[in-house]
Amino acid sequence: MKIDLFTASSILLASVILPNPVCTAQQYETQIRPILAEHCFPCHGFDKQESDIRFDTLSTDFIKNRPAAETWHDALNSLDLGEMPPDQQPKLSLSDHKALTTWIRNQLNKARESKKKNTGSVVLRRLNRIEYQNTMVELLGIDADYSANLPPDTPSEDGFQNNGDTLSISPMAFDFYLEAARYGLSRAIVTGSAPKEFDEHITLSASAGKRKELITDHLGIGTHFIGKLNNFPDQGEFRIRVTAQANLVDGADYPRLRATFGYRADTQSPNKEIGILEITSEEPAIYEFYGRMEDYPIQSRNQSKFPGQLVTLTNLFHDGKPRKITQRIDTTVEKNGKVRKVKKTELIKHDDVPTITIQKVEFTSPLHESWPPDHHRNILFASSTKEVSETAYAREVIGKFMQRAFRRPVKDWETNSMLQLFTKLRNDSATFEDAIRETLALVLVSPDFLYLIETAHETSSGKTQLTEFELASRLSYFLWSTMPDQRLYDLAASGVLSRPDVLSKEVERMLNDPKIWQFVRQFSDQWLDLTSVNRVAVNPQYYDQWDTSIEPWMQEESRQFFAEILLKNLSALNFIDSEFAMLNAPMARHYGIENGPRGVSYERVALPADSNRGGLLGHASILLGNSTGEDSHPILRGVWIRETLLNDPPDPPPPNVPALESNNSNFNKVSVREQLKIHREDLSCAACHRRIDPWGIALENFDAIGQWRKDVKRLNRKEFVFVPVQAKTVLPSGDKITGVADLKKFLLQHRNEQFAKSMASKITSYAIGRSLEFEDQTNIDAITSYFIESDYRLPKLIERIVHDPLFQSK
Amino acid sequence: MSTKSWHLDRRAFLVGTAGVSLSLPLLECMGNEANQNSRPKRMCAVYFPYGAMTPRKDSPEKDWGWMPQGNGREYKLNKSLECLEPFREQLTFLKGLSHFNGRRMGGHDTADIWLTGAQFKGGTFRNSVSIDQIAAHHFGDATRFSSLTMSTDGGVGEATRSSTLAFGRSGTPIPAQNRPRLVFNRFFGVNSESAVRQRKELENSGSMLDSLLEHSKTVRRKLGKKDLQKFDEYLDSVRSVEKRVDRSQRWLDIPKPKVDSTDLHLDSDHNSPEEYIRTMYDLIFLAFQTDSTRVATYQIGNMNGATSIAGQFPQLLGFGKKIHALAHGWNKKGGGEALGKWDQYLAEQLARFLDRLKTTQEGDGNLLDHTMVLYGSSNSTTHNNNEYPLLLAGGNELGLKHGRLHNFSKDIPLTNLHVTMLNRLGVPTESFVDSTGELTELI
Repeated sequence: MKIDLFTASSILLASVILPNPVCTAQQYETQIRPILAEHCFPCHGFDKQESDIRFDTLSTDFIKNRPAAETWHDALNSLDLGEMPPDQQPKLSLSDHKALTTWIRNQLNKARESKKKNTGSVVLRRLNRIEYQNTMVELLGIDADYSANLPPDTPSEDGFQNNGDTLSISPMAFDFYLEAARYGLSRAIVTGSAPKEFDEHITLSASAGKRKELITDHLGIGTHFIGKLNNFPDQGEFRIRVTAQANLVDGADYPRLRATFGYRADTQSPNKEIGILEITSEEPAIYEFYGRMEDYPIQSRNQSKFPGQLVTLTNLFHDGKPRKITQRIDTTVEKNGKVRKVKKTELIKHDDVPTITIQKVEFTSPLHESWPPDHHRNILFASSTKEVSETAYAREVIGKFMQRAFRRPVKDWETNSMLQLFTKLRNDSATFEDAIRETLALVLVSPDFLYLIETAHETSSGKTQLTEFELASRLSYFLWSTMPDQRLYDLAASGVLSRPDVLSKEVERMLNDPKIWQFVRQFSDQWLDLTSVNRVAVNPQYYDQWDTSIEPWMQEESRQFFAEILLKNLSALNFIDSEFAMLNAPMARHYGIENGPRGVSYERVALPADSNRGGLLGHASILLGNSTGEDSHPILRGVWIRETLLNDPPDPPPPNVPALESNNSNFNKVSVREQLKIHREDLSCAACHRRIDPWGIALENFDAIGQWRKDVKRLNRKEFVFVPVQAKTVLPSGDKITGVADLKKFLLQHRNEQFAKSMASKITSYAIGRSLEFEDQTNIDAITSYFIESDYRLPKLIERIVHDPLFQSK
Repeated sequence: MSTKSWHLDRRAFLVGTAGVSLSLPLLECMGNEANQNSRPKRMCAVYFPYGAMTPRKDSPEKDWGWMPQGNGREYKLNKSLECLEPFREQLTFLKGLSHFNGRRMGGHDTADIWLTGAQFKGGTFRNSVSIDQIAAHHFGDATRFSSLTMSTDGGVGEATRSSTLAFGRSGTPIPAQNRPRLVFNRFFGVNSESAVRQRKELENSGSMLDSLLEHSKTVRRKLGKKDLQKFDEYLDSVRSVEKRVDRSQRWLDIPKPKVDSTDLHLDSDHNSPEEYIRTMYDLIFLAFQTDSTRVATYQIGNMNGATSIAGQFPQLLGFGKKIHALAHGWNKKGGGEALGKWDQYLAEQLARFLDRLKTTQEGDGNLLDHTMVLYGSSNSTTHNNNEYPLLLAGGNELGLKHGRLHNFSKDIPLTNLHVTMLNRLGVPTESFVDSTGELTELI
């Protein structure tokens, strides 16, 4: 929560002149102010304003002065958590503590009540990039990249990318929407007869340029197979079917077949990955890769020195061990009767590397089982009116399409206005299809499509209930990040979706649908800020074995962990500590866990009792994302814990904060923990940092890349020195802990409810697409209690959120 | 060498004077600029492949070096660029510049980023926007065409060997025109097929946006107070797109300037390089003179050695070898002179173009003083992506200080020039890709 100091202090003046409601004012003056004067004013009063907070002049008008109310709310939290008054200061007596917290709480409740009627409503929300992309694919039935050109979405302050307030639109974005709509429809609606199908079979790898020894049908390390296609279309879906057989190696990871598609330019080969498939058996099998021609670099037809599209196949086996690919050997050649010594490059055979033998590559494109294809007939369906009247048929087509695109029934006059456009366009369009495409493109840039429109008005009685269709959309974009399916739509149409029993059943169905992975991915990425991994560059000087290819696996571990807890209905307290981890081969290796999975698929791995990997705090993604790339970063990690797990983000740093270095010449020789100590001894930093750093210090046994360590490696005058890890710390509440295991124990014992509330707040905020405000606290409290009573099960939490007025009203 | 083809009677081009027949669209569509009664600001970029003769210090063929000798105002043109002497006060030589990102790319790959400066590597080779398109976007519908993109090879070619210099806002290549007649018809002719299609698309868009705004009104009525702000942001976007479409449509109703094509070699092609190259320059000149566009690019040849049509130009013109081979021969005996003569030939074509601009009056000055012409390549010698041969001509009235050769340190990114040019065009630009500021020496 941010405190707007300017507003706060200017209203303060007013509050001195205009007294607060009598009884409150009296109670404040006689009971509350004296407590504050004794315990709080010394640091937050006339003489000092630690953290820029000052109580002696802080308004007590919670209703009119919102910033003041927010500050009081922060104060309440600090009191509840035992963080204030700080350790060095005399503690509040039990009765004073109670009087103070009760008073703040009552004031907050009153303020909440008075505001209930006019705030906290969801703002008109544009589909974000992912939602737009998914919806276009679902609606048009063509899996193409529609969002490539759209500008990235701005995340909200709490990190979510589906917040109506922060999602905006610009003329440029509008252009791209129109372009994407025309592009999509030009492919979805076809004209003419079936395009010629291209079929090519390749059994031999083409040779290409230098280093011929690396091109082979037997894929080990560093080699590749190149399939050259002489004939191919410019657009349309393609399938590449590879017949391959693997030779596995006992105890080694599985090999993975990677296919890329592109061509050879003069000295470079623009190409793009189509996919990667893991091979787990030695039986010869068929592996299929799908894509659309127009999404890949395509050979120019008339300006090429090396004509032909290239399918490049490689074996992605990678177990982290360095291996040489080729060696130069001495050999002799005989030419014109003379024997000469020459050096020859030869592949090195590695017996510990599994290989893949390519037997055949088949290319087919465009793919369509029938003509016109399904995606065409979904829009231009068979109808008896088609023969009778073109306009009547157009009306049917437009109406049906609008209904799907708008996610609600459309009124006659709405269809009519689109039909008018169609008629106008039809007059000078060569074909019916041309005019229809343009008309439907308009539907796809309509606000009803691009936005989740909830027409409920703010009425004098407060919030209004969403309509059934609005509810269907909210539900669908919450759990699937796409438009409602037919069943949700039908339930809304029959008016029963909002019935509690029906709604519960639907949530259950949605949780069991593969589309729930959209929620898993979106929510875990945004909640845990997994992209932070991409923002840190690991310094290979510190980590000589470092290989960036592990970064995506780190992020995926966290998603898989979230999915496991959600989909297997496990307690959410597993996020704090768990007896298992979700690992694949690279991650198990990274953590030094032996006999883990052999492949890149994630498996649930039981952790030994003394393991430190349980829960999110052992995840490399989070540890690396909150590091410097050379060492841990206790402040970032501390902030992460408070923000993500406890939903108690510290205030942003004030301007002109000095960096961690200081004039202390020994600064670089001491451990980070000691550096932070120096830091906290500086009074200007101390006020905030003793409430942040300890959380991060507890994780000091994890280095920058999330590996366990006993010593901290630090560069001192071009030489590495090792300093023992100090993970002992004192939490702001005064609890002493000795490291990550202790921290997790503490969180489970003392902060489990705060964590539950945090979880409830985050998922609710994501579900309704807006930041929570303090008027929402009553609802959140109720949701939290239910979550705790349900033994911290996420499906129960989701179900409860969906039933809450916060979700069902606007 | 024939000189007949380009010698055109200037008066033959326009019916009436530019000032009269063009005042209508200018006043209606130019917005602020027209109100200030200021003359249009223009830019043009012309690229030739594989660099130019860049002799070693001790080379006996030093006199054939493209870059003049000396520094500041005291520079001396070598043989190959002697023909530019009359423009000394209208041009600046930029020595030492190159794209930082280009230095890490393949020697044949940098034409793609000449105007974009992009880091153009890895997988899909996605480029970013080029400065001509930034300017084109900025000028919007002040002119009938936002830009003229041409190359000898035409189309977009292949990534890394693109046959266009222009890249749109999302980095997608903009197809280059390579048939003079089509360009002429599009700019000055009536009802060419593409014009009909263009009209059609614009009309569609116009009707669509009309309907959309109509439809949106009904949506707006249903929304709550809080939503309106967000919704109006949407409406504003639609309206601004509509306005643009509307303006473009209005251009359709304004008659195109009448340009006499008798002396233009509109059907010349790559088999007659001299007529072809001059016609391409002529088209840029005409497009500028009639204010049909303010942004033009022409890629004389791309760096696709095997397939570039332009590659054979020197052979056809009697210079012996293909451009690539000439470029490769720079350090062989006699090679410097061979390459230098080709450089000289290209410079003569440029000189003619500059001369036409300079001798054509506009307002109280001439076309050249309001037109920046960037001329050069993205190699020094073949495949070396540093020290590009570059000169910037014209635009004296746009705030450029000419008459010098600047020797820049290699720490100055070429994108600083791009920023400088954009700002002179009135496109406020603080930075572009990896720029660190403007080239203050030029302004």
